[in-house]
Amino acid sequence: MNIKKDIVVRVRIMFLMMLLFALAIVGRIVILQTIDGDKWRKKASLSYVKERTVDAVRGNIYADDGSLLATSLPKYRLGFDPLVTMRNPLNVKIYDEGIDSLCMMLSNFYQDKSAKEYFYQIDFARRARVNYIMINNKLIDYQAVKDMRKWPIFRFGKFKGGVVFEKVTKRYNPFGSMASRAIGYKKDHEQVGLENSFDKELAGKAGKGIFEKIAGGSWRPIEGGEASIPVPGVDVYTTLNVNIQDVAETSLRNALKRYNAEKGCVIVMEVATGEIKAMANLTNVNDTNYVENYNHAVLSRTDPGSVFKLASMVAIMEEANIANDEWVNTGNGSMMIGSKKLEDSGPHGYGTITAQQVFEHSSNVGIAKLMLKYFGEKKQQAYYDYLHKFHLDQPLEFQIKPDVRPIINRPKSGDPTALPWNSIGYGTGLTPLQMLTFYNAIANNGKWIQPIIVKHTQIADKLETDYKLTQKVYEEPICSETTLEKVKQMLIGVVERGTASNIKNPLYKIAGKTGTSQKLINGKYQPGRYYTSFIGFFPAEAPKYSIAVMIDNPRGMQREALFAAEASAPVFKEVADKIYACDIQMHKSLGASHYDPRYFATTKLVAHTSDLKAITDEFEIEVNPEHEGWALVKKNDEYLDYKVYKNPKNKIPDTRGMSLRDALFILENKGLKVSYRGIGKVVSQSITPGSSVNSHKSIMLTLR
Amino acid sequence: MMVTISTWIKENLKGDYQIWTLVAAFSLISIVVVFSATGKMAIMSNGGTLSFLFKHSSLVIMGLVTMYFFHQIDYHKYAQYSNVGVILSIVLLIYTYKYGVSINDARRWLRLPLIGMTFMPSDLAKLSLISNLAAMLAKRQHVQYAIQELWPMIVKIILICACIALTNVSTAVLLFLTCFLLMYFGRVPTEYLAVLIAGIFLAASLLVMTGTGSRIKTARSRITNYIQGIKGKKEKDADKQSSYQIDRSFYAIANGGLFGKGPGRSQQRYFLSQADSDFVYAIIIEEWGFIGGFTVLCMYLWLLYRGMKAVDSSGRAFGGLLSAGLTFSLVIQALVNMGVATGLGPVTGQPLPMLSMGGSSLIFTGMTVGIIIAVSRDKVEDSVLA
Repeated sequence: MNIKKDIVVRVRIMFLMMLLFALAIVGRIVILQTIDGDKWRKKASLSYVKERTVDAVRGNIYADDGSLLATSLPKYRLGFDPLVTMRNPLNVKIYDEGIDSLCMMLSNFYQDKSAKEYFYQIDFARRARVNYIMINNKLIDYQAVKDMRKWPIFRFGKFKGGVVFEKVTKRYNPFGSMASRAIGYKKDHEQVGLENSFDKELAGKAGKGIFEKIAGGSWRPIEGGEASIPVPGVDVYTTLNVNIQDVAETSLRNALKRYNAEKGCVIVMEVATGEIKAMANLTNVNDTNYVENYNHAVLSRTDPGSVFKLASMVAIMEEANIANDEWVNTGNGSMMIGSKKLEDSGPHGYGTITAQQVFEHSSNVGIAKLMLKYFGEKKQQAYYDYLHKFHLDQPLEFQIKPDVRPIINRPKSGDPTALPWNSIGYGTGLTPLQMLTFYNAIANNGKWIQPIIVKHTQIADKLETDYKLTQKVYEEPICSETTLEKVKQMLIGVVERGTASNIKNPLYKIAGKTGTSQKLINGKYQPGRYYTSFIGFFPAEAPKYSIAVMIDNPRGMQREALFAAEASAPVFKEVADKIYACDIQMHKSLGASHYDPRYFATTKLVAHTSDLKAITDEFEIEVNPEHEGWALVKKNDEYLDYKVYKNPKNKIPDTRGMSLRDALFILENKGLKVSYRGIGKVVSQSITPGSSVNSHKSIMLTLR
Repeated sequence: MMVTISTWIKENLKGDYQIWTLVAAFSLISIVVVFSATGKMAIMSNGGTLSFLFKHSSLVIMGLVTMYFFHQIDYHKYAQYSNVGVILSIVLLIYTYKYGVSINDARRWLRLPLIGMTFMPSDLAKLSLISNLAAMLAKRQHVQYAIQELWPMIVKIILICACIALTNVSTAVLLFLTCFLLMYFGRVPTEYLAVLIAGIFLAASLLVMTGTGSRIKTARSRITNYIQGIKGKKEKDADKQSSYQIDRSFYAIANGGLFGKGPGRSQQRYFLSQADSDFVYAIIIEEWGFIGGFTVLCMYLWLLYRGMKAVDSSGRAFGGLLSAGLTFSLVIQALVNMGVATGLGPVTGQPLPMLSMGGSSLIFTGMTVGIIIAVSRDKVEDSVLA
């Protein structure tokens, strides 16, 4: 047989064997993909494919000027995998070399345990072969994480150093506890405030999708999962003003402390827009501290007391159009209605006074008499119809939920006491915000406007929902113009001459009403336990803000009649003062004269050129100083002239013509102790200009 | 431009163009697949994703250069040098067993002085033994075989295989298989082949009995694991690592489907610890589907076919036997690798030649293919074997 042929045949036989083996491989692939395919695919997806949710970024809450009130921040917790440090000799070496200094750094960073304690904690976990420990539970920020990544052991990362930074998203309120009940929060089972009411908007939509596992324990979305992308939450823009909120909270806290009261709240509302500018709620805890833990302003229904008399007075005026000087006989300050005795808080009664005075002194008897006169017997229903017209018996549908429905208990037939007691604010249940909304309507020329705390929501620059568009506004005034004029006079009178005359001030006029009501506990009115309030608006002539102050159960005061005036009204005043000081539009015009260069620099004036430039720019004066430093300003016929002002190093300068700020700066920089008297510009100084600085220690300036 | 390239090819690339084409295709596939398969390492090492791509691409190019270099050499020279190669291999293999570098718990590598690259002496041993065997067999084509003449062959085969088995059992088994095939091609009578089998059994049991060699245990447990798997009951102490890998390989193949997930979309590459070498075939099927896996398989068979054609065309027995031995060695390794990935055989740790990532093995594969092409070059009309 041919040798070559023999070899070729043998090779071919083996080739066929290989072909057979290859066929077997193809067969195995087919089996693995078809017959056993489902089994393996299922097994694979069990361990490597999972449906996971991706949390959406929660929206922020902003104040009216764009300040952040609530936001979400990433925080981290430091975890550690001790097993990693034992996995191979290299990792063991990394651990052994770095553990001592690492423990020192941990101890220095957290300041809670010694380096040795940290060592025992980690060493114990290694011995116990635990696969994960939390080194410290404290949340740290990203900057700290970045620093820690440079530490020994940690710098080798997750797979060699075993360090794990667990990410936690934390809600953060930059202003701390400010308005914390209005802003609210969301915890596991409890959610309140805007965080609750706007939860759906803020939360966004969590992404859901099929993820597959990849190296290092990470997951990535499987292709085609576009629908699963999380939708970030929208940002909520509130009407809250951080400055007003701050003063409201501070004044309220001080008042509560001063009178050792149980709780209180302040609401500030912009008259024309219904925007809530501040909403402070404080409750006593542990007898000494006051914290925001309940939204009294929105949720606490109580007998409003005398502040409700405004509603009754408006109703009487609408019904009978009485004059402010209609006489009312209040007698000795007490009267019997049915079997119940109605009393004024004053000691002896006011005798016969005008309706205006009835209101100013908050006479219960006076109001009751007027009520019985104009809404007696068969006309009772008309009074409640008025309350309905004032929207006092309807829920506000306010943006912070839940919505509280006001209670007004209508009289049962044959009960003569219900109406008069209702009219002075008893037998009813209204929240401070509901009462304020009514006062706001009076301030707003009878136009009832729904209070609003969220102006709009937006995502990035795109407006999402404009709540101004859905805000309820009733163009139809709740009462006539004449009535408005008359009750406004009464409200002003309360501050000018009446129960709240302690907050009368010369700068602006306040219109408002005090309220002191006995507290209803277990169905009985409790003498000695009071609920005081002051609701009003300012400036009275052109109201801009309406404010409600409520203080519950102030203690330690002498005269009951002045509860509200002493406790609540000053808080109103403090908040109003602050707003007034900050709002230049509210100030009375000072009658500024038109620009005339002759009014400038008629006397000697020294100032720094940077200040002068700012002034000339603001007033669009074309002449600017040409040099840097201090300048002497002089009048030059029609224009201003600037001369270089000399300030020799070791000599006392001539500070005449300087403002106190500039003079202090120059003189104290030369090491002199400066004292002064008067206000205005420096007109004289105790040391002659040009004297040596070294021979003097102090200088006296006179300003005028 | 095209003209210059084609003229360059015509002037410089000699031999079987089909093999050249296959090699070019394998190189391209290798770069693409290994780039994807090293995705895990790229993530874990925090280094650039491209670092593995560059490293592997340059090794592939080095392999091609080696191939080009070897295809120009007259292969007849190997007949003389192969003897030296065999002796050198034995020395290096024993040295490696004692002092070699350990990677993945197996001490198979030797660090070359000066270059600092690691290489496997078993690669050199494989090449030398096959060449040597082909030369020895070729000499005896015109005479009757006598047992005395076969002793040197048998001793060499058993010695080399035993030395390789010290560190790498599966390579030893495959090499022995190839040698056995080669002797069959070389028309060694059946009774002598039986003697060879008896000898290798003796050597194998000696190794197992004495417990010599670092990898004997691994081999035993892998085989037990495979047999247990076939029987349908897996013992707990069976090699968990290899059954873990086989499962991942099956996940990949099952998820590949007909057309695959597409390049770079493999998931199991993150979990198969040998995704870039031993189990690269599973990744190929996951990303390129049954179509891709089948194509690769056919390419190996085609390479085998072309190597076999060289037997037809070569004038002398040495060329034919050398070509057959080398192609079979290469393709058997490839088929065994694919068989492991698909669950046809126990886990071996054989890379897929020309596709897997690897250092020196790519160079030695380049040499092997270069020699095969060199054989295909000579189309001698005056066949001595006629």
